[in-house]
Amino acid sequence: MKTSPVTGINTVAKKLSGRGDSVLARKNIRNSLVSVAGLIGRPVRDESGRLIGKLVDIVVRHGEETYPPVSGLIVRVGQSKSFISGQHISKFTNDEIRLSSTKIDLVDFQRRDGESLLDADVLDHQIVDVNGLRVVRSSDLYLAPLDREIRVVGVDISFRSFIRRIFPGALSRRPTPEHVVDWASVASLADTSGVVRTSGSRAVLSQLRAADIADLIEDLAGREQNALIELLDPELAADALEEMEDEELQGLLRGLSSERAAELIARMEPDESAEVLRDLDDEHRESILSSMDAKVASDLRELVSFDEALAGGIMTTHLLLTHEEDTVGAALKMLIENRERDISDGVVVVDARGRLIDHIQVIELVAAKSSALLSTLIGAPFPTAVNPDTPLKEVIEEFADNRGSSIIVVDEKRKPVGRILADDLVDALVAQSASRGFAQGTGN
Amino acid sequence: MAETVKKKTPVQPISPKKIRIAALLAVMGPGIIAGLSDDDPAGITTYSVLGANYGYQMLWVLVASTIALILFQDLGARIGVVTRQGLIGLVRQKYGARSGTLSATALIVANIGTMTAEFAGIAAAGQLFGVSRYVTVPIAVFLVSFLVLRGSFKRVEKVFFILSGVFLAYVIAGFMSHPNWGEAVRGMVIPSMPFNRDAIYIATATLGTTLAPWGLAFIQSYAVDKRLTRDDLKLLRVDVWTGSLLTGVIGFFVVVTCAATLHKNNISITDASNAAAALEPLAGKLAKELFAIGLIGAALLAASILPLSTAYSVSDLTGRPAALDDGPREAPLFYATFGAITLLSAALILIPGAPLITILVVTQVLNACLLLPLLGYMYGIAKDKRLMGEYAATPTMKVIYGVIISLVAICIACMLWFTIRG
Repeated sequence: MKTSPVTGINTVAKKLSGRGDSVLARKNIRNSLVSVAGLIGRPVRDESGRLIGKLVDIVVRHGEETYPPVSGLIVRVGQSKSFISGQHISKFTNDEIRLSSTKIDLVDFQRRDGESLLDADVLDHQIVDVNGLRVVRSSDLYLAPLDREIRVVGVDISFRSFIRRIFPGALSRRPTPEHVVDWASVASLADTSGVVRTSGSRAVLSQLRAADIADLIEDLAGREQNALIELLDPELAADALEEMEDEELQGLLRGLSSERAAELIARMEPDESAEVLRDLDDEHRESILSSMDAKVASDLRELVSFDEALAGGIMTTHLLLTHEEDTVGAALKMLIENRERDISDGVVVVDARGRLIDHIQVIELVAAKSSALLSTLIGAPFPTAVNPDTPLKEVIEEFADNRGSSIIVVDEKRKPVGRILADDLVDALVAQSASRGFAQGTGN
Repeated sequence: MAETVKKKTPVQPISPKKIRIAALLAVMGPGIIAGLSDDDPAGITTYSVLGANYGYQMLWVLVASTIALILFQDLGARIGVVTRQGLIGLVRQKYGARSGTLSATALIVANIGTMTAEFAGIAAAGQLFGVSRYVTVPIAVFLVSFLVLRGSFKRVEKVFFILSGVFLAYVIAGFMSHPNWGEAVRGMVIPSMPFNRDAIYIATATLGTTLAPWGLAFIQSYAVDKRLTRDDLKLLRVDVWTGSLLTGVIGFFVVVTCAATLHKNNISITDASNAAAALEPLAGKLAKELFAIGLIGAALLAASILPLSTAYSVSDLTGRPAALDDGPREAPLFYATFGAITLLSAALILIPGAPLITILVVTQVLNACLLLPLLGYMYGIAKDKRLMGEYAATPTMKVIYGVIISLVAICIACMLWFTIRG
């Protein structure tokens, strides 16, 4: 998925103009772009041209809109910094900002939820370039009038624009629109806690694969990491979390609120959730579990209690349970409803007392008539049944001996309680060989 | 129907001690490598001159430098782990494009100079064994480039560790010279020095070569590249303290070797290979060879770290990918910087008539001047709660960092004053 930056940007532009909503494609906007980096430190004047102060920062409001509007300016007047509401701006150019009256209220600036400062929080900070699938630094930001407000419409991540800013005088302020990317194609990670953002960032991020998002999360830290998680749809965030390295994931969870962590963990596959929770310290685990739905929490508690070296410790508790007198059609319907899940390669068949009979693969179901009863499909290959406390080593031997058959975990009454999938075994083996590698490396 | 319900076999638990050692070894690296690479040929030269000209008297300068090294390497590693960003990238983010670019440019120029000094060290040590610089320097360029271009992060790190082993040579040479241990301990704990230009110069040089700007930039970026997490911070501290202390210990042995031999016999030297040659009649051929081997190993380690540190810093500044595990295609800027620094410095050493002395002096002054703003930036980042969160510096630590920075400032001011006065 690595593309060169240039083609990456072009693709974004194309994709967005293809959707017909890239504001940068509009000529009047392209011609009125103002460079934020250039504007910082420039004079702010009143209606009559009298100098009020120098621009320190620009405050924008994040919300439902794709292009965040300017809510105000922070201006240095004498020795102190004051806030001027965005309503007073009448004209802004590359060289200065003009206000619409001579009577301006100067108030002390207070950070508010959902607002960020373009110079202090966004410029030169890390942002996610969705098309390049990487974390980059913003070299410049661009403002333009749009829908009766001044908004951030573009961002520049090119090296040339960064170098331009080092030069003195007007040279550093000249916009270089040829490198501008639509604001909607990047995800800004400025801290805007408490805001629900349904904006462009979220829409664009939702097109990424979970594994790519996991990589992006791992490239970030602290605030930015949390900001990215907040931007993601919870379902996608949970998928991305499953793809992360264990250590990284624990670090991430420590930074999230218990409620948010609980929400994400509850959406992960139960065996993955249990694995994460097992590695946390008791107090943290309890605080996350107590923020969850009681039923989900009690299921997870049980899973967590199993030893990782035992079958119960790596099984998933999601099972598609059917009875032998159910029809093939009903089983297929159940499979389709659960097609997103890892375990949707077949159904588990139990008898009237809930005891395991067979595991029937999708291919057998598809080949049969939909009105046929599942009992007519029962036959070899049968699944291998193990107990929750069967050691992992034996599970692996069973799996190697009966290749292709499913492994179902049953309790002492032979009722199915979980399944072990091939990829869970691979994960367990990798973890084992990694720790063995260390032991050898240390000379033990 | 197959069924497997077998009896439980107890799983052999791994002893907690083994787990701790394995975990420590997994975290180890940034502190040891960044620390020991500060004992480069320039460092060995400085320590040799310190010992040869002032005996044991100024060992306390080395102790003070080691303390400063411990504290700031520890801070750098912590900033790297907590923010996942390199020093220069953070300077750009917090202090603006101009500060970031200025620091990066100064760092690049200083690093090219320092890298030239590393190659000069290799050339000089090679000549002690009668091998021409036109053989040794190209071999060094090849080894360094091959290692970084072909190796994964883990493999590169392993080679760094092996190279660090070479420093044992100085410890052995130290014992062979039969130093006066009592005098050495006195010199470490009782600060005294002649107040003249040369003494101030050598004190500042000791501080500047121990606490090098590129080392500070390196440890932070390297901790990021190693993907250490906040859980690793405790073990990382063990690594940083070990590495920094070892750096001081090796410096100590170089100083006492020269104090016990050269100073005692009133022999004055100008550089480390000079010191090695002068050692032969006083401590035997083996001592000379150990000194020369140590010099080559030290130069190779530093010559691998320097272009790496520069490449991390440039990538950091521009916000481009910088990872040893990425290939040149994924991180072109990173590898281009690495190559350019290596080749340029090698060229400077191989071109006949290049003004080497000027390059080395300018480099030393530049490194000293660069150290102050970098320490200042690190101090600013360390106390920034938005960046560091719960890991922000405590009031006590702020005072300690402040005191060290002031002392560094005084040293540099004295040095500049003496330089201008001539």
